[in-house]
Amino acid sequence: MVFYVFEMGEISMKYKSIEEELKVTKFRKVLEKKLEAYFEDRGYSFIDPKIFQNYDEFICSNYRIDSKKTVKVLSGQSDVYILRPDITMSILGKVLNKWDKDKLLKVYYNSKIYLNDESLNIGEYKQMGVESFGVDSLEADQEMIDMAIALMKQSEIPFILELGSSKYLDGYFKSLDLDQESEKKITELISKKNRNEMKNLEFRSSLMDNILDMQGDMDSVLTKAREFSLNEEMESALDELEALKDFFESNNLTTWIHFDLSMVPDLDYYDGIIFKGYYFESSKKILSGGRYDKLTEKLGKRVASIGFSIDMDELVRIKLEESER
Amino acid sequence: MNKLTIALAKGRLGEEGLRLFENTELEIVREINSRKLVFNNEAGEVSYIFVKPSDVVTYVEKGVADIGIVGKDVILESQSDVYEIMDLKFGKCQFAIAGFRNQKLNKKNEILKIASKYPNYVQKIFAGRDQKIEVIKLNGSVELAPLMKLSDVIVDIVETGNTLRDNGLVVLESLEDISARLIVNKVSYRFKYEKIQMIEKLLGGIL
Repeated sequence: MVFYVFEMGEISMKYKSIEEELKVTKFRKVLEKKLEAYFEDRGYSFIDPKIFQNYDEFICSNYRIDSKKTVKVLSGQSDVYILRPDITMSILGKVLNKWDKDKLLKVYYNSKIYLNDESLNIGEYKQMGVESFGVDSLEADQEMIDMAIALMKQSEIPFILELGSSKYLDGYFKSLDLDQESEKKITELISKKNRNEMKNLEFRSSLMDNILDMQGDMDSVLTKAREFSLNEEMESALDELEALKDFFESNNLTTWIHFDLSMVPDLDYYDGIIFKGYYFESSKKILSGGRYDKLTEKLGKRVASIGFSIDMDELVRIKLEESER
Repeated sequence: MNKLTIALAKGRLGEEGLRLFENTELEIVREINSRKLVFNNEAGEVSYIFVKPSDVVTYVEKGVADIGIVGKDVILESQSDVYEIMDLKFGKCQFAIAGFRNQKLNKKNEILKIASKYPNYVQKIFAGRDQKIEVIKLNGSVELAPLMKLSDVIVDIVETGNTLRDNGLVVLESLEDISARLIVNKVSYRFKYEKIQMIEKLLGGIL
């Protein structure tokens, strides 16, 4: 008998005995091997991310991460480093240093991130995921979503892949002249789907009154979103989704996909499609990812980049429960 | 897949929340003076659970309840990861900093002592101000703290201001407006989108 203690963002398992713990570890290993084999099959190579990251670099590109949550360490020269709170950033550090043009690179990882939990103890979270670099935008977008759905299909439990584009809202904010503070406030309200407080803001627009209704089936969302599109960036966000829609339709993937243009990414570095996978009866997302070319640009070289990560603690919990039914 | 669980705060806010569903298909019949904490409606399509106000958010965040009705004060304090889809416009009051008349909030090099039931919220409010603070977490009768010199000021919700007045305190600064909110678990929102939209309509959120 295994029981779970729910912590903020983590499930720490408590076992009755060491045998019980080893049994769960074995179960996890089997699952990990299966995923690794799948990634290898699709042409991805294993990469081992660095555990330390420069504190300043991380904070610069992710203003929505609470710095209190990162686990800091000091080097011998008293420079501040953090234990990686995110794997993509630490892979990018490796990849971009040695990047030359016209390269394609597909990698997967099986690793851990570190964050202080609610009671400010260090939490360890298992993640697996993939990153694809240098691959033409649409092709890579299609491959990522195809893989995400294939992975979620491995369980009998119903699932949904929520899909949006960070470019739609980013483009919208560009057409306005807002200070960073107001933009942050509006983004926060949209991310909470807080219709009422958006209406109470000093600043209002027809797009903001409608953004929360831009979710559901693809055709109606795209039609509605076109009405409120103000500039090229917003148009290109919709063009990309439109192109993906055709791909989903010809590959029978539409059943699992819910468009939502009011999706706000958890990290600030996305520019392009963003997606999150949910299993029914699980309480949080199991998979999340998106395109982040903008981040590579910020770090010095613009490289087409897209990827997703899987919350392995949650996946193991769900699959274990399923296997015990 | 279509069963819905709604978490309500025990007490006035929850009772008022329950009243919103009267004469709808989500109505429940409760035995008078029952101490039961779980109730199902006749069709068995919805159950209501009654929990402590601060636990409503936890139940919803962890997906045990799909939706919940809770005060904005609790949401601000808990910093949880849930959708907040509707202002239900009842249970109205206001967050405020209160203390003795003429009490300064800017004490320069001295530490300002603040008693509150909402320590996280206090930290957030004072984060941008150039004032060192010490937060003293209390669980009730916060107004007592300045009187007994436990703190300089308090941060609490104020409805009529009667309790403050009776204890010789005044509002020094008004903060956020508070009212009851409808919160939703993020996964439930996706899987039960139609049902949740139906409830939003029922309660007058979407016209």
